[in-house]
Amino acid sequence: MNSVSTMIESSKRPMLQLEDISKTYRSKGSFFGGSGKKIVALNHVSLKIFKGEIFGLIGESGSGKSTAGRLIVKLEEPSAGEIFLDDNKITGLKGKALKAFRLKAQMIFQDPYQSLNPQISIYDTVSEPLIIHKTKNVQARKHLVLQTLKSVGLSPRDDFLHRYPHQLSGGQRQRVAIARVMVLKPKFVVADEPTSMLDASISAQIFNILLEMREKLDVTFLFISHSLAAARYLCDRIAVIYRGNLVEMGPGEKIIQKPKHPYTQALLDALPKFGHWDKVEGHDTLLRVDRGDFQDVGCPFFGRCKVAHQRKCSQERPHLRKSDGSRLVACFYA
Amino acid sequence: MALLEVDNLSIGYQTPNGFLEAVEGVSFSLEKGKSLGFVGESGCGKTTIGMALMRLLPRNTSVKGGHVAFEGQDMLKMSDEDMRLIRWKKVAMIFQAAMNALNPVHRVDDQIAEAILTHDPASSRGDAMKQVEDLFQLVDIPKGRMRDYPHQYSGGMKQRAIIAMALACRPKLIIADEPTTALDVIVQHQILEETKNLQKKFKISIIYISHDISVVAGVCDDIGVMYAGQLVEYGSKIEVFGSPAHPYTKALLSSYPRLTGEKDKLAPIPGEPPNLINPPSGCRFYDRCPSAKVSCKTEAPVWVKLTQRHSARCS
Repeated sequence: MNSVSTMIESSKRPMLQLEDISKTYRSKGSFFGGSGKKIVALNHVSLKIFKGEIFGLIGESGSGKSTAGRLIVKLEEPSAGEIFLDDNKITGLKGKALKAFRLKAQMIFQDPYQSLNPQISIYDTVSEPLIIHKTKNVQARKHLVLQTLKSVGLSPRDDFLHRYPHQLSGGQRQRVAIARVMVLKPKFVVADEPTSMLDASISAQIFNILLEMREKLDVTFLFISHSLAAARYLCDRIAVIYRGNLVEMGPGEKIIQKPKHPYTQALLDALPKFGHWDKVEGHDTLLRVDRGDFQDVGCPFFGRCKVAHQRKCSQERPHLRKSDGSRLVACFYA
Repeated sequence: MALLEVDNLSIGYQTPNGFLEAVEGVSFSLEKGKSLGFVGESGCGKTTIGMALMRLLPRNTSVKGGHVAFEGQDMLKMSDEDMRLIRWKKVAMIFQAAMNALNPVHRVDDQIAEAILTHDPASSRGDAMKQVEDLFQLVDIPKGRMRDYPHQYSGGMKQRAIIAMALACRPKLIIADEPTTALDVIVQHQILEETKNLQKKFKISIIYISHDISVVAGVCDDIGVMYAGQLVEYGSKIEVFGSPAHPYTKALLSSYPRLTGEKDKLAPIPGEPPNLINPPSGCRFYDRCPSAKVSCKTEAPVWVKLTQRHSARCS
């Protein structure tokens, strides 16, 4: 798999690198012992995200996309593989080194109704990271907090600073959550479905704030989402993940206009074709009734794939390989 | 005569902070076998309309005015008992968040059979179970999973079971409130397609309520765009989305990322909807509207008829 990550030729410097990352969980065993089933959340995932890039990781619920985000900001440790941020190995960091890492890599969570502490005012929420990382004295801290809130479109009147999360709308909450991340001026940010709880008009505000952050602060983003349309708008490159396996990776526009992996094709088929009232010809790669359980030695999409070859695809796992230019596809028949 | 005719419906909630005008002066009609979609941001009153049609509004609600004629009968004036007889039998609802709409301590097939037996006491339990079996086949849940409990189902299966339950008494009208919000796109697509087929087969009228304009655009004949408790644009899907007339509809469409065409910069709608306790006297979109005139602040906009089936509340 190592060869895969080196296949994307680029003169740009990788900001983040996943090398052959796997993460497995064990489901609870029974009361009388037995160790439960092994659940593979990520299966030998390798990728590079370049400096200043917004990289989209697209998948359905349970695909492992959030797990990838959590591993990168070290909320969890991978079962195997290495992660590098800015050429420094981050797997296994502890103590002071871990704290220094947190200053560089931050995460925006999905649900601003749960990610903000209801008992802490807006001002304290945004200044807390600064206190933890001992960056500034009181005056300078206040200045930074105000400046950051302004940059996410919350021009704070004084009373706003002393409000509590329940007095804010969902969009305002998410902007506070973004301010809390950005106040540290991180180099790398994982945004895990930051708008899935918000209305479209508010989502667009958040997207534009993220684009602005990249422009102004030179932040590199991993954008995790189930929405290909959002990824198309925000991301330079995207990777599509299915059951913990990357199945297609490359420039966003290219993948969305001409998907190659049968799963990516099925995803695009399923999206409502807004604006096209006539029936659009689909790729038709999804089996009506899936093949049920099969050995996990083969292609992860074998169970639902119409184009799969019975013997080859059920017994051999396709790896990501170069398809055209900078695109990688994990399918024997793409 | 249309199956459902709603005229000038206004609904409010008594809250600790004052009276909240959740729905104000909403009128629409729905023909047999057709589908109508309400879109709008959260808090715009679309779910309140759905709940009003089911007569399931909470206690602190008051219907301030208007008529709801279902098959010619005024639903708002019906006694609770009469309403109970037609609820589910003629008007059913697919609730938001299917995961919470099923009772966790009863088997799925029993829950659906209960709906059938309640409205058709003459039928035997065996008959009801036979019907449940047919329903499961319609919505594509394997027969072997009928006796499961809800927690054994995936999200998509629960949603299918809820649809089966809504279809149980062969209703004439189904209100589908965010029927696919929590589901993955592939499952969403399958369920919307299935619902479309069932609608055609049984000539059901459906009201879709969703914040996702692409979902509504895919399944509805007509669209009603709601903003801050009011209907602001109404018409056929192609007219409303193809040549939107109200500034809010236009703004909503340009804040929505697309999969095809030019990659334009998204234009978010600045600000937030107004507070509906003491809402503004003029146009409710005034504060956020890019083309507002001075008079819009004080004068409530009137409906302008653009074509036979397309009108907007803005001049």
